[in-house]
Amino acid sequence: MPTDLSKTRSKNTSSEQTASKRSRSINIDSMRKGFSVKPLALGITAIFLSSCGDKEKAEVFTSPEDCTNANPEYAQQCKLAYEEALAEAQRTGPKYNSQRDCESEFGNNQCHAVNNSSGSFFMPFMAGYMLSNLMSPRGYNYQPMFTSYSRYSPYRNRWIGADGYDFGDYRRRSMHVSKDSFKPKPTVNKTMKRGGFGSSVRAKSSWGSSSKKGGWGG
Amino acid sequence: MLRINIKERENWQRKAADFGFKFHTMYGETYWDETAYYQFSLQQIEQDLEDPTVEIHQMCLEVVDKVVQSEQLLEKFQIPADFWQLIADSWKHKQPSLYSRLDFAYHGKGPAKLYENNADTPTSLYESGFWQWLWLEEQVNAAKLPKQSDQFNSLQEKLVHRLAAIAKHYGIEHMHFACCQDTEEDRGTVQYLQDCAKESGLLNDFVFIEDIGLSDCGSFSDLKDNRIETLFKLYPWEFMQREEFGQAIQDAGVNWIEPIWKSVLSNKALMPMLWKMFPNHPNLLAAYFEDELTKARETKLVKKPIFSREGANISIIEQGKTVVQGDGPYGEEGFIYQDFYPLPQFGNNHTLIGSWLVNDQAAGISMREDSSLITQDSSRFLPHICI
Repeated sequence: MPTDLSKTRSKNTSSEQTASKRSRSINIDSMRKGFSVKPLALGITAIFLSSCGDKEKAEVFTSPEDCTNANPEYAQQCKLAYEEALAEAQRTGPKYNSQRDCESEFGNNQCHAVNNSSGSFFMPFMAGYMLSNLMSPRGYNYQPMFTSYSRYSPYRNRWIGADGYDFGDYRRRSMHVSKDSFKPKPTVNKTMKRGGFGSSVRAKSSWGSSSKKGGWGG
Repeated sequence: MLRINIKERENWQRKAADFGFKFHTMYGETYWDETAYYQFSLQQIEQDLEDPTVEIHQMCLEVVDKVVQSEQLLEKFQIPADFWQLIADSWKHKQPSLYSRLDFAYHGKGPAKLYENNADTPTSLYESGFWQWLWLEEQVNAAKLPKQSDQFNSLQEKLVHRLAAIAKHYGIEHMHFACCQDTEEDRGTVQYLQDCAKESGLLNDFVFIEDIGLSDCGSFSDLKDNRIETLFKLYPWEFMQREEFGQAIQDAGVNWIEPIWKSVLSNKALMPMLWKMFPNHPNLLAAYFEDELTKARETKLVKKPIFSREGANISIIEQGKTVVQGDGPYGEEGFIYQDFYPLPQFGNNHTLIGSWLVNDQAAGISMREDSSLITQDSSRFLPHICI
């Protein structure tokens, strides 16, 4: 979309009749929110509504057997992809300092301790893996999937990618996803500390009653 | 420039709920006010607001170029020395900026006078870019406004375009967005930018400023321990630079939106600096640093903290005496003084014009009214049209 039209417009009076100083079109439906959306759930919109032409069909399996049952002639790929997804889960999956933090997000007995070079922490068990292009000679794509059994978690009964993207209800096994879903996720080994930003707000918010808003925009 | 009463759209509150516009009424008081609108001529818009906005932005960039090269000036701007190099590098590498809002006092004729530049964390973006756009669309469709009514407002279109350009600049497909907890207005502003990012094909995630983590490898992380690679933060640089994680900024490798060189612009020291470099420019008000106040010939001055938000701590000084004293939590970094120039009055309303820039292009205006001469967080937002 041309960006410099406003300039042309202001200098070109002959086109004034049709020229407009405002955004020509806004996709109004895409601006509707309906219900208030939790930040996490935004991942759904981003993945399922963006770039419609760039999607592929993917399926989620809960085990290599589950995969083999659906694709009997690909048992070997099913097993290999599972192992690769497990390794990826360990690398990119959510990590917590304590078992309690992990279980409050994923449910009782849903977490295990992991030790590696960057320390020890707790991670949810991989609940399944997403596969696409299983039959393609160019090779398949895989991603580990998680889900939560905690009633306090927005992840409850959802398929969740390692980066927290919500792929929808966990009973759903087949979906169309953006190709980006299969890109490797950046690793953060371990978050050491939070809360290092935001202290000025707390300090200044405690001031006086006429500061009604907590916002820091101008 | 006229203020004209108009009937409110029926059920607009329900529509606002539909679109997730939650802060149209805050603390029981009207914020979005569509009982009236402002009307401009095309000439007023283009000559008196659009062109000066673009020109002033270029002047501001000249200030940045000068300040980043001078330790003395960086000190005057109250920027912590630890960040001087980072700011200079960010400027040298032309790290892309997203948006700014210039605040003007404009009486419908004569030059609009610049009050300040909100270059780092401007808000009222959603109500400007989308909500007043929708208002015009619907009022025209309902034949409540003439068919040829237009609006100076290409914000959303330009934001979508600019976010895509920034993504291309950094070679990224994903952005994080952040603001502070417990503020519906800021969350709404950031959600709007997320919507624009989505529209430009970007994946996005949200994290509260207070929830940002620091990982063992020095990068910042969100609540899911994902690395923050690119971050739009609706949180002022001058706060971040003084907080605990400020020291980690250098090594965190984040693509910041706004980039850190904007610390120089979202700073009231900009005003005396502009006046020094472009004295007597028709869109500028005379402005002075505290230590050069003896040079001021004006009898009435406005005293503003170097860092402040929403009209806090602004005082009006006449013949050396404080006649209006605004309180607030700011001012420890010092003050600047600006020639007193009143806002135009429409009835009991004092009207301020916010003029938007997306990168270096003028992108529209927003109108705010306050019952006081100093526009505060209690002000109302009104739509406008141009004909």
